[in-house]
Amino acid sequence: MKFLFPILLIFTMTTANAVATANAAPDNSTQKKIFSSRDKVMPALVHIQPVIKNYATGEMEKQAVVGSGVIIHADGYVVTNYHVAGKAERIICTLADKEIVQATYIGGDPMTDISVIKLDLSNYKNKINIAEFGDSDSVQVGQYVMALGSPLSLSRSISFGVISTKDRYFSSNVRLPSGERTGRYNLWLQTDAAINPGNSGGPLVNLDGKIIGINSRAQTFANNIGFAIPINVVKAVVAEIIDHKKVIRSWIGLHCQPLQELEEYFGTNVNSGVLISSIDPGSPAEKSFLKAGDIILELDGQSVSARFVEEVPFFYNIIAQYKPGSEISLKVLRNDETFNFEVLTKQLGDLQGEDFESKEWGFTVKEITRQMQVDHQLDDTHGVLVIGVKNVGVADKGGLRRQDVISKVNDTEVLNFEEFIATYNALTIEKVEKIMLTINRSGAIRHVLLDITKEEGNDKDE
Amino acid sequence: MNKKILFLIAFLTISFGSFQISSAQSFDFEKLEKIVSEVSVIINMKVEYSFGAHTNEQEERYLGSVVSEDGLVLYNGFTLSGDNPISALTGMNVKTTTSEITVTFLDGTEYPAEFVGVDRFSKIGFIKIKADDHKFKALKFISEKKYKVGDWVALYMLLPEYVQPPLSADVGMISTLIETPEEFPLIVGFNTLQMTSVLFDENLNALGVLGQLSDPSQSNTDQAGMIESFGSFGMPLLGLITENRIAKMIANPPEKGKTDRGWLGITLQALTTEMAEFWNLDITGGIIINDIASNSPAAKAGLDVGDIIFEVNGQTVEVNKEEKVPIFQRKIAEMGPSAAVEFTILKRTDDKVDTTKVLATLEKTPMTATDSPEYENEELEFTVRDLVFSDYLYHNLDAESFAGVVVSELKSGGVAEIEGLRYGDIIQRISDQEVTSVGEVEVVMDELVEQKVAEIIFFVWRNQKTLFVNVKTDF
Repeated sequence: MKFLFPILLIFTMTTANAVATANAAPDNSTQKKIFSSRDKVMPALVHIQPVIKNYATGEMEKQAVVGSGVIIHADGYVVTNYHVAGKAERIICTLADKEIVQATYIGGDPMTDISVIKLDLSNYKNKINIAEFGDSDSVQVGQYVMALGSPLSLSRSISFGVISTKDRYFSSNVRLPSGERTGRYNLWLQTDAAINPGNSGGPLVNLDGKIIGINSRAQTFANNIGFAIPINVVKAVVAEIIDHKKVIRSWIGLHCQPLQELEEYFGTNVNSGVLISSIDPGSPAEKSFLKAGDIILELDGQSVSARFVEEVPFFYNIIAQYKPGSEISLKVLRNDETFNFEVLTKQLGDLQGEDFESKEWGFTVKEITRQMQVDHQLDDTHGVLVIGVKNVGVADKGGLRRQDVISKVNDTEVLNFEEFIATYNALTIEKVEKIMLTINRSGAIRHVLLDITKEEGNDKDE
Repeated sequence: MNKKILFLIAFLTISFGSFQISSAQSFDFEKLEKIVSEVSVIINMKVEYSFGAHTNEQEERYLGSVVSEDGLVLYNGFTLSGDNPISALTGMNVKTTTSEITVTFLDGTEYPAEFVGVDRFSKIGFIKIKADDHKFKALKFISEKKYKVGDWVALYMLLPEYVQPPLSADVGMISTLIETPEEFPLIVGFNTLQMTSVLFDENLNALGVLGQLSDPSQSNTDQAGMIESFGSFGMPLLGLITENRIAKMIANPPEKGKTDRGWLGITLQALTTEMAEFWNLDITGGIIINDIASNSPAAKAGLDVGDIIFEVNGQTVEVNKEEKVPIFQRKIAEMGPSAAVEFTILKRTDDKVDTTKVLATLEKTPMTATDSPEYENEELEFTVRDLVFSDYLYHNLDAESFAGVVVSELKSGGVAEIEGLRYGDIIQRISDQEVTSVGEVEVVMDELVEQKVAEIIFFVWRNQKTLFVNVKTDF
């Protein structure tokens, strides 16, 4: 008896599948639309092979990756994912006509996982094709869509499906492979058009041949649960990247939580107000005396609300779009009374700093940005963050670990990334053999002695 | 099933061991058995092991020895040592709860008993017989004995429940006298199933109990430099836990909730030989003070960050690599609270090195995560514990301004878990009332249960951020 149910279930699913397949077989007009859409976008599809630098092992390692992209401008601008081409040093692109051209990295935005590269068309004899942006707000759940790209590096592939949902929310705790938090400011289109690794950065298109999203992630161990960044988000981000190489956002350092289940407790009306759940230490919000539990009713005179989690990114985005340094006026409900608060926004700044390989010392470091300071609970942005320690290298033997913050090299204070590089270069040129690092680990200082003479390669020189 | 296999292996080892050494010793086992029978008890207890939301209850049986007239009994507390305060901070610990403890003397008299605690270093467990004013015959250990390689020792172990009589004798031989990391007469011929059995010499004097030497480099130490235990990986080195260590425990048993170990309050690091060389110091080892807890004994004594301790009470600190740091930490822990300790330190300034002596009075180790008091709310099926010193360090919280209680257990599928509370959440407010201790939580929860409120709003700290969790009740 116990086994009956699962068997029935499989049976039902198989039958349903068969029926669905029969019903979903495109009729002639749909098939025509698919062909016409394909012909509009396919010529603008790009197979991208960037070489990115990986510093996680304590050494700078070059890594060839594969992704997809689409040409969106006659000057050769291609939009793709930040996790495909972000900070890439060499980018090889294969166009739809199989011609290979080089591209350069223009800029990117880890928050929305979008980057822009530019094709070098000086030696390209043909004329490039451009795909058009559609409107992601008017997308409907159930609407037919196609995903174009290079799944598992198989270039020029199309998969077909529908929009499964158009307001999928992911918590902003998700991180890109390079470590940046992502997804705080947008929702996602979910589709059952197959999206595999390699599809990243490729277009999700409607049957009018217009781009409605940029494919960027998929659920592992699932059948066809893929996600694309809505094109209306992409349009704004791309424009900023082409102008400034990055997206400039305002930051006040507050985190919000949907009010749905807390309306009675806070005594608010349905669809009224945004609940502040947490405030970053040292942030403009804290300096303006905002508190967790405050409910923002109005922002510069406009009513705001976030009853459901899907409404939270939209609210974050309203603040982000202010010019850094703007004063925002918030009408806030606290203990049944309303107050007005003025908050001076700051620029969000880079989520992550630059990387550097201290080759002779056997570790890699990262510049500490203000967002990293908040993330890692550091007192300030001084020093450099260790992001990789080479196995059985000099630093490993000395006891250095990932996440340590180097504050001193010998007796020289390391205030920032540039100073660290300068000190490293000076000591390396002088061939200093023993170096004492002063580091901060979990709030306490420690000493790490680097004995360069112990390095295997150096033994031979003696 | 596993237990049976273990016993089989034990028997093989025992018979093999006895066979090898049977000709070399001369114990009067008839007499010894009489001595042992008078002070031995068979302990039965229920132990609940929980990991996260998973729990498993088991009946366990041990051989115990009465060591005080008022009924203190020592036994092998190893299985209860999963209660690791360091991993409790991260939620990776196995929590153990004992219940229904009884002791049965070999003549059949039975008493109820209660759990006292486990010594974290030796894993010796203690229970106390509940028998009002009854005076028990207690085992007396002899002190100040000199040991030498080749000395014979004997013990009794508990046989499985289906065997009568319950006890079986075994002999072993002292094979070497280990000096570091601690003085420990190593014994061959025994196995780990005999741990905490009382060891006797050929004159039938009780010497101590069978214990294990652990690797200090595998120790559990938290950010505050509070050492909790040495590791027990690799080949077990069995030997004699001597009277002087046991006597301290009997005089002051390691009670759950009581942290009577010495504490200096420093974050520390080994001064390696290479570092001493780099700084041109005349010493070959020591302890570098990297941080000092505010109001700690170290702070009160005037120790400074950067100081190097190279002598404790005139004895050289032989710590020249990181793996040896726990030996120093354990020494401090075992000196006990209120011990006055003289530290000889080096102070390094830009161009000179000064030597000074600093007198510090140790204090009690701050409450640990597993020792801190708990409160279980049965209606919402969650348990909280007080926030302890190590939590503040582990999460980098400000002790002056931050308060709350930590969610230490959630019933799988229970109300609190389903409604969104998480293990490790620090609850700061419950429906508008600030809570800073489990006592306060109990008062607030009692009130809310009595009022039969439909929802309770917990304001919690999780992953460096705060949030509100609405728990719908069905009172």
